[in-house]
Amino acid sequence: MNENIIGINSSKGNKIRKLLKGELGLILILVVMLLVFSFLSPYFFTSRNLLNITRQVSITLIVAIGMTFIILTGEIDLSVGSVAALVGVATAFTLKQTGSIFVAILVGICFGAVLGLINGVITVYGKVQSFIVTLAMLGIARGIALVWTNGKPISQLPANFSAMGAGYIGPVPISTIIAACVFIAAYFYLNKTKHGVYIKSIGANREAAKLSAIPVNKYRLLVFIIIGCLAALGGIVTTSRLLSAQPTASEGLEMSVIAAVILGGASLSGGVGTVLGTLLGAMLIGVIDNGMNLIGVSSFFQQIVKGVIILVAVLAKREN
Amino acid sequence: MKEVLVLEKISKSFGGIHALEDVDFSLLEGEVHALLGENGAGKSTLIKILTGVHQKDSGKIKLFGKDVKILNPVDARYKGIAAIYQELSLIEDLSVAENIFLGNEPTKDILGTVNRKELFDLASQKLKKFNIDINPSIKISELGMGQKRIIEIIKALAIDAKILLLDEPTTGMSKVEIETLFKIMKDLKKHNVTMIYISHHLEEVFSVCDRATVLRDGKNVKTFEVENLAIPDLVQAMIGRNLNDEFPKRRGKPGDGIIFSIKNFKSFNMKHEIDLDLKKGEILGISGIIGSGKSELALGLFGVDKKEKGKIYIENKEVNIKNPGDAKKEKIAFIPEDRKTQGLFLNQNLLLNLTVANMELVLNNGVINSRKRKELSTITAEKLKVKPLDLKMQAQNLSGGNQQKIVVGKWLCGVPKIIIFDEPTRGIDVGAKTEIYNLINELADKGTGIIIISSEFKEISGVCDRILVFRNGKVAKEMSAEEATTENILTVALGG
Ligand SMILES: Nc1ncnc2c1ncn2[C@@H]1O[C@H](COP(=O)(O)OP(=O)(O)OP(=O)(O)O)[C@@H](O)[C@H]1O
Ligand SMILES: [Mg+2]
Repeated sequence: MNENIIGINSSKGNKIRKLLKGELGLILILVVMLLVFSFLSPYFFTSRNLLNITRQVSITLIVAIGMTFIILTGEIDLSVGSVAALVGVATAFTLKQTGSIFVAILVGICFGAVLGLINGVITVYGKVQSFIVTLAMLGIARGIALVWTNGKPISQLPANFSAMGAGYIGPVPISTIIAACVFIAAYFYLNKTKHGVYIKSIGANREAAKLSAIPVNKYRLLVFIIIGCLAALGGIVTTSRLLSAQPTASEGLEMSVIAAVILGGASLSGGVGTVLGTLLGAMLIGVIDNGMNLIGVSSFFQQIVKGVIILVAVLAKREN
Repeated sequence: MKEVLVLEKISKSFGGIHALEDVDFSLLEGEVHALLGENGAGKSTLIKILTGVHQKDSGKIKLFGKDVKILNPVDARYKGIAAIYQELSLIEDLSVAENIFLGNEPTKDILGTVNRKELFDLASQKLKKFNIDINPSIKISELGMGQKRIIEIIKALAIDAKILLLDEPTTGMSKVEIETLFKIMKDLKKHNVTMIYISHHLEEVFSVCDRATVLRDGKNVKTFEVENLAIPDLVQAMIGRNLNDEFPKRRGKPGDGIIFSIKNFKSFNMKHEIDLDLKKGEILGISGIIGSGKSELALGLFGVDKKEKGKIYIENKEVNIKNPGDAKKEKIAFIPEDRKTQGLFLNQNLLLNLTVANMELVLNNGVINSRKRKELSTITAEKLKVKPLDLKMQAQNLSGGNQQKIVVGKWLCGVPKIIIFDEPTRGIDVGAKTEIYNLINELADKGTGIIIISSEFKEISGVCDRILVFRNGKVAKEMSAEEATTENILTVALGG
């Protein structure tokens, strides 16, 4: 009896502390940022601007959700920006050839899946660190995109292709809706299916996962394919928004995406992280970007501020 | 005799858990002082406060007569306190020599370049001094559990400590290594090193300790002189009641049908082919010293190590086990020997740890049923008396013995036909051990075939119906429960 009471007490105390360190702490920071920017710019806290922020972070968020999975298994994918760009090119090319948006998107996603599969196979079966494999892929995918297009954008895409990236349903941007769907699906997948449990276990202790009869390599590979597909989706939305495929698009995407995931509380050593945290991390970055633009902070200065905020947030959440 | 260390009213809590409450403790120069208590009593916490891993909430530490603050492990070492923790802290990918002198390497020049030759020479000397036959240049990952423990001890002794803290040093050791350890301890004692010794093997206390202090729920119970003391006194102080029978009698008997058998089986990691039959409801013990190939057999059977040849039959039907997933499909469960590297997901909560191997049982059309999942884990955790029973708690915040209960529990919520336990009671206190033996008996009575691998001869002879003693990767002898006294097993294990 006695120990049960102790157990419950501790779980409550721990819970509050954990929440403060985790999601709740992020929400607090987010609220503070919203207040600060509302105070500094009258336009900031309008529904139009807030929806605009969600549109701006949608691509980061889509890819960051894939990155959450990868980081949960204890790996990393540095190639997401290049994969997004190459997929954008492939999608635009297919669209021009076939005229079918559906086929173009399908081809784009498959492209992403295959690139993810390649990263995965080399990492998992070739036993090379994912940092190195995806660093190589970062160069290769970007290079292919540049060679394919001769460095020039593929433009003059059919106007109705712009819906995904630039369209609205009522006041809500379609890209926001896409990101929300990805978020909900990922949340369900990670928390309500055995795959989610396995993915966390593999990151927490690969050997123990193997001895728990989990097909470890299969799931590690699967996660690489998932992030490939999500990077592809990000690339397609970007292409749609610009109505043109730029081989140089999404450069540095990996950095903002990894920042969002780490801000969200994930640990690079694996096993720890949530998609809700990632959502909040991405929103935080989006709010800071948007707010600073509105109040006219120079873009050079913005980078410094963003870096400092990330450092402070991560330090505040650090386990002692 | 001089008091080298005095603790006064030490308290420490984690969140709402009082790990230590007003604990007093004193250490006399040159003594070996046993620190005893149930799982979660606060023993390791006390050790970690003395080495600066944790900071006490209140109380006083007097070291050699002076009030001190122990800031961190480096500070503790500087003050002459060395420790061997319950969980191994060796770096698997480094050599034995590198581990022994980690952070303390002999250098060649002012830049701090490590003098590798001297490093290996010094390590050889150390090992030779204690008569330990381990090559200093092999990697830690190639050593068995008991050997790792010995290296951990040598590492702690790489500095000239005045106080040595040993937290369950004999876990994973067989008789032979324990003897080595005791010799080292007696030698240190001659050199006036004072020691705190934690163990759940109470008979060890009588071999090496002078006094014993018992903790219960983080509070002092009593300090005994070991002379004119008996095990039941200690047990009474530890768990507050007598323990009639450490090894409960079995009600059932092994059945007639063979549930599991292997013929000429060999994995790439095994030295020789093995044959073995296991009856329904039988508890088969596999014993032998460290390195006799017991765990390798288990890893082979569970599909972790690749099979080279031989056949496996379950209920007389040949099965093909290529990986642990196949083994699970054939309803084999395997509890591995090293909880930290093989058993636990330390940074995950108990809910995940207890259900991860049996997710099918908590799925409804592929969706996790949280209520079922909680129920299942609670039942297992209650059965094993996990304390505190908080499913949201991370495994790493449990005491060592409670972590072990989680490892044992992980497979028990399924309904396996065959269970292989590799050192199941490692770090588990006397009372809880009996509970686990009861549980094993219950499973066997239901017809489950059970293999227990253990280097603890007393356990093997106390629980098993039949015993195989391994030597050099082969079955050296089969014994009945009656034949298998500790002495008999040891003689065969050593090659008598
Ligand atoms: N880092 C931590 N966070 C939360 N609780 C902790 C932490 N470390 C220890 N505890 C709790 O403190 C209590 C005492 O643990 P401790 O490890 O000292 O027990 P122990 O006597 O060494 O037990 P065992 O025989 O199982 O090793 C336990 O209830 C444990 O759950
Ligand atoms: Mg302990």
